[in-house]
Amino acid sequence: MSRIAVAFWNPIVAKEYRSRMRTWRSPLAMTVYILLLGGLGWAIFSAMAASTRSAFNQGQAASFGQGLFVYLILFQMVLLAFITPALTAGAISSERERQTIDLLFVTKLPSFSILWGKLLASMSFVLLLLLLSVPIFSLVFLFGGIELDQLVAAFLVTAVAALTLGIIGLACSTAFPRTLQATVAAYGAAFVLLAGSLLFGLLFPTDYDPTATRAPAPPAVSYLSPLLPLITIGTNGPVTWYGVRNSQNAFASAACSSGPSGSSCVPLGPNGVPIGKGFVRTPPQATGTTIPSGLFTGWQYWQATVTMQLVISLAGLILSAVLLPPIRHLPWHRRVTG
Amino acid sequence: MIAVDGLTKVYGRRTALDHASFEVPKGEIFGFVGPNGAGKTTTLRILAALLEPTAGRAFVDGADVIQHPDLVHERLGYMPDFFGVYDQLTASEYLDFYAACYRQPKARRKKIADDLLQLVGLSDRRDQSVDTLSRGLKQRLCLARALVHDPAVLLLDEPASGLDPRARVEMREILKELQTMGKTIVISSHILPELTELCSMIGIIDQGRIRATGPVQDVIQQLTVGRRLRITVLGQKEEAVAVLKPLPSIREATTVNGAVEAAYEGDEATAASILQTLMAAGIKVSGFNQLEGGLEDAFLKATSEDVG
Repeated sequence: MSRIAVAFWNPIVAKEYRSRMRTWRSPLAMTVYILLLGGLGWAIFSAMAASTRSAFNQGQAASFGQGLFVYLILFQMVLLAFITPALTAGAISSERERQTIDLLFVTKLPSFSILWGKLLASMSFVLLLLLLSVPIFSLVFLFGGIELDQLVAAFLVTAVAALTLGIIGLACSTAFPRTLQATVAAYGAAFVLLAGSLLFGLLFPTDYDPTATRAPAPPAVSYLSPLLPLITIGTNGPVTWYGVRNSQNAFASAACSSGPSGSSCVPLGPNGVPIGKGFVRTPPQATGTTIPSGLFTGWQYWQATVTMQLVISLAGLILSAVLLPPIRHLPWHRRVTG
Repeated sequence: MIAVDGLTKVYGRRTALDHASFEVPKGEIFGFVGPNGAGKTTTLRILAALLEPTAGRAFVDGADVIQHPDLVHERLGYMPDFFGVYDQLTASEYLDFYAACYRQPKARRKKIADDLLQLVGLSDRRDQSVDTLSRGLKQRLCLARALVHDPAVLLLDEPASGLDPRARVEMREILKELQTMGKTIVISSHILPELTELCSMIGIIDQGRIRATGPVQDVIQQLTVGRRLRITVLGQKEEAVAVLKPLPSIREATTVNGAVEAAYEGDEATAASILQTLMAAGIKVSGFNQLEGGLEDAFLKATSEDVG
């Protein structure tokens, strides 16, 4: 066999496809997935139809299209966050429980092939679900308001987030001896990734700095959540309502008054006496879907999310690869011979 | 073919294997006997490069299990003491999967699976789902799985456990056939008589220490130090006992059911000299037999020396 063929040779994938697709669970999962996603689409569609007596104009149609898209893509992400950890959290631990893992270790299959074979098999199922949802998303194009590149970017974010959740599940499955523990840990990690990171932005928002020349942006941790970039992609607009706080402290040392050309602030001294002539300027406003300030200044939200998640995925894969082999050959691990 | 040298495995404060050393030459069937928890599975898992020894070395067909686990895996077929089967796969798909894991080319895998299913007598079950097979059939399928890459060495951990007598006999037939194919086989068991018929060599392990190892007859002889003789004499039972008792090799002599039974220490030559002494004393001996058995007792004795 050629070297490339050896690198990609993986009987695990074929075996996993076979056993996964032979159970009733897979078609059931696909059906439920489509029914839930389609049901939400249909519900929103009928709500719109009911609220619109006469034919609506192009602008209304576009905003309906956008609304429908944002709801669908967020709901799809949440559904996948429930499905993906379940797909991979048992990958290694169930082999341990079934006591088949040793049988794989004694073959010529490298440990890493076991990992990526399991991952590829699970991720293929997620990809299948994503493909199944395409017809539902095509509904959005009836209304307009969403361009093809937005759809592609949103699906990319969703796919990378699912991959990250899958790898986290795999790492949990490798680290924990039992599937139950691995599943609980994987769902915990999925919750932290999707909702915990957003909660961080609510609890520790960026303080509004009146002297800043750039618009404030939510703290970098909150970009971990795929929900934030999915919203910015869907609405094609900036995030102004989340993760930023008008700090009382910042304003305690400045006297501001609103004027027709923006706010005018005069820095105050210790006695509350204005210092200097003050300045007049318009507070910077976020525009477009780029991150206005902070660690990822100038990046698109989705780029920051995808990058951070790929870093987590890589770390998860490395952790799994270190933990999986029955005999670990770590550089600091020296064997005593006697 | 297999060499184990000073192998030690310590789990926390418990020593599972304590400087175990033995060798198995090519083509032998080596029975590895000991009570549960004696260190059999630990030894086999180290030999299969699945477990790192605390100290010592082990070689399979010349390959060091620590330095070259990949070479060891190539030359060794391992059957653990559990089945390890997947749901949703048929018997032939199961073998095909493992053959693929051993990098057997696709073109050859079907033939490998067919040949092995025939060897273990499962040809008519090739399309049956693995999880619906009976215990005995699963065990045979697992043996077939250990053979997909045609290894020179087979490690079988408790292959007969949980099998009914008929399945045991069938397993034994398959193993004999494998021996004629030139494979070196290591079988672990906690039942000694189960192995004495099948094996050419045995090793007895207890509490992590090898108590005895070598060809079956030698080990049995080594274990059965105190042997028993049944001597039938014509009427002179009391005289015979009187003659026997002063002999240094005789530990005990009594009349049992119309014959004399004597326990002695020594080998065949000792038995012959005892007979000569009786004849010289004018005792009319009509029967002189070595009492068989006591193997299990001897095994129990060998494996409980440290307990008492």
